[in-house]
Amino acid sequence: MEKAETKKNIFTNIRGYWMTHPLFSTGLALVVMIFLQTLALGFQFDSFGQWFSTWGQNWINILRNNAGIGIISLGMTLVIVSGGIDLAVGSTLVAVGAAIMVLIDTGPNGILRNLGITGLPAYLIAIVIGIIFGLILGELAGLLVTKGKLPPFIATLGTMKIFRSVTQHFMQGYTPVVPANFLNISSFKIGGQLLMPIIYWVILAAVFFVISTRTTFGRQVIAVGSNERAAKLSGINVAAIKRRVYVIMGVLVSLAAIVQVARIGSMDYANAGSGYEMDAISAVIVGGTSMSGGRGTIIGTVFGTLIIAVMNNLLNLLGVPPFLREAFKGIIVIGAVLLQKKENNS
Amino acid sequence: MNIEMRDIYKAFATNIVLKQVSFSLKSGEICALLGENGAGKSTLMNILGGVLPAESGEILLDGNPVIFHKPAESLSAGIAFIHQELNLINDLPVYENMFLGREIKKKNGLLNAEVMIRETRELFERMNLDIDPKVMVRELDASYKQIVEISRALMTNASVIIMDEPTSSLTDPEIERVFEMMRSLKKAGVGIVFISHKLKEVKTICDRFTILRDGNMVAEGAVADVTTDDLARFMVGHDIRTSALQRERKTAHEVLKVDGLTDDKNFRDISFTVRAGEVLGITGLLGDGRSELFQSIIGAGTSYSGQVYFEGKPVEIHNTTQAVDSAIGYLPRNRKENGIIKDMDILENGSIVSWPKFSKFGFINRSQQLNEFEKQVKDLHIKRERNNDPITSLSGGNQQKVVLAKWLAINPKLLILDNPTQGVDVGAKEEIYDIILNLADTGVAVIVLSSEAQEIIRVCDRALVMYHGALQGEVTGERMNEHDIMRLATGGTLN
Repeated sequence: MEKAETKKNIFTNIRGYWMTHPLFSTGLALVVMIFLQTLALGFQFDSFGQWFSTWGQNWINILRNNAGIGIISLGMTLVIVSGGIDLAVGSTLVAVGAAIMVLIDTGPNGILRNLGITGLPAYLIAIVIGIIFGLILGELAGLLVTKGKLPPFIATLGTMKIFRSVTQHFMQGYTPVVPANFLNISSFKIGGQLLMPIIYWVILAAVFFVISTRTTFGRQVIAVGSNERAAKLSGINVAAIKRRVYVIMGVLVSLAAIVQVARIGSMDYANAGSGYEMDAISAVIVGGTSMSGGRGTIIGTVFGTLIIAVMNNLLNLLGVPPFLREAFKGIIVIGAVLLQKKENNS
Repeated sequence: MNIEMRDIYKAFATNIVLKQVSFSLKSGEICALLGENGAGKSTLMNILGGVLPAESGEILLDGNPVIFHKPAESLSAGIAFIHQELNLINDLPVYENMFLGREIKKKNGLLNAEVMIRETRELFERMNLDIDPKVMVRELDASYKQIVEISRALMTNASVIIMDEPTSSLTDPEIERVFEMMRSLKKAGVGIVFISHKLKEVKTICDRFTILRDGNMVAEGAVADVTTDDLARFMVGHDIRTSALQRERKTAHEVLKVDGLTDDKNFRDISFTVRAGEVLGITGLLGDGRSELFQSIIGAGTSYSGQVYFEGKPVEIHNTTQAVDSAIGYLPRNRKENGIIKDMDILENGSIVSWPKFSKFGFINRSQQLNEFEKQVKDLHIKRERNNDPITSLSGGNQQKVVLAKWLAINPKLLILDNPTQGVDVGAKEEIYDIILNLADTGVAVIVLSSEAQEIIRVCDRALVMYHGALQGEVTGERMNEHDIMRLATGGTLN
């Protein structure tokens, strides 16, 4: 009798911890994923050192391949927490990427080259203009949502179509040449490894963690997403907060675009970045952010990005046919939300 | 059909809403159901309409006990409930609205518009109504919409119709049109329950009245035997009078002055002033426009014409950020919807307004934030375990104090409190009154909006009474009693 009581207590304790720490289940899911992935990698190695270097290399690949989505997901977290959504991130990425490439093109059409600016100054100018361009594209969505009072889904569905279509039109039959030095932004090797994208992701994640937890703006975003009316009546300029969220999203997409251009050195305007919006939203959702706004964390999103990334890697290691992999992504998203729903109900 | 409700008891969790209330209605009778907001009128009628279950008590229809589990059952028994918000679909024609949910179809499954139009027209002719069944509901006047809704109830062969404040959004000629229809229904033997705050209308149209107060039935009888003053007295109840709390204090300069404020629909031609160290009450019944007025003043409502002066200077406040910068605080009504942010903890809810004040380069100074909040916790006697507990873990009274704390943190010069004791228990209510009076002592201009006349009488130095968006009158001293307030609030005047 007494034993049953203690057992129940332990159970309620774990349950209580689970309920009060929203990241608990997400973190647990990530640990399980990593465990399974480690198992799938296998242990048929000659030495521990060999196993470890394979394992580590695998991880570097995972992180690098997901740095772009990881960066975009940080901004998407703010957007979704504020009660919005941004479907235009993939198209913005292409538009900004194209703009940067046209600027730094070393071919006959390169804008900066024709102005006589080359090398480092050209790269800096291109980066600054690229960021400003992304900022303007984000502000456009922000204005449509606040001044135009459009639902964010519709506003960004519109800009998504516009940005990609216009980019494709202007870039028809034009293949800019990206200078080799520019590629160093992403491809500079540290200890023989391509680590730059990972470093950018880590730095930005830290910056956004601080923004979301320590700044007036970060906390006001949560207030707006949780209860817009109460936030407004508390003296918060709701429209300004919403606009800034989309502007920040635009800037982050620009940074992701720079990293991507510098990694690949070219861009497929029809397909680059397509599906990024859904991948970013998935990461944010799996990380425990509520689609209806008001609840969500940057750490959760980093976890969410990693869970999906590790799962992809796991499926790859297990030899699951490529077409089936998206299905698992769907299962993870649905499962995560079902789990979070249960947490919130009790 | 005769209805009898006996000993109806209903509680929401620990909050008892109806205590052994009885109510009856005979066919061909119009009975007024009266009471202040929260007296239990709607709950009682929702039980009769099958919207809510009663905990105990019984309902008899012509002497036969019945239990309604859902609105459809009540409707099929012949009881139609017309809610305050109309349930018409603006984008469908009148006849389709009349048959919504019980459309007449042809054999092939398509709608039989002809028959529906014909039946609608026949009914309108019987009722002497001049409405085209094919016109879109959107194009109808508010009164005709109300009439369509009543006609729809008749179409279901209702022998009892419950009307919840049917005239609250109508003009006088429109009200007369609805009354005419009610009279002809009465002649046809239909029983009507008329819920209203407008006592003059009750005198005009009703035969009997039943008055609820705090979940008890406190009076019933024939309308012919009483005056509107009697009804008002029954509604507020004199046996619960408690001591007035006003204090002697010197008022200083004018803090807020508004001159001829008018918006499109909620308020018109409002002028008043409030001084530092004064507690001004604003009261009225549902739909008086007081909340809308003050939300407009702080930049969170409709735009208006007229001029607002703050601290002697003409100002135009476009948004709430500007109001905060000017040291104007507004504690909204409906704490759950407008006051608290449920995804944030107690500390954040209690400091949200002062974040910009306590931040440097956008970073919140957390120790300053905490110190200020702790000070408020002490001053306001907020009972809480940990600052990072969810706001929803607190009792209503403590939640309200946290919402109050966020405003006190900016040292307001003008504090507008809209229904400040809504949903708080008696003890916390008294504490909030003390807080209000202490604030006035320190020279803050306080405006208390409240639908409870008692509250206004106890804490305010003087009060303005609103009726349908206009200032109906001002009461001070002797005249500040429930009787006179209720007279003004129901559209009367003081002689």
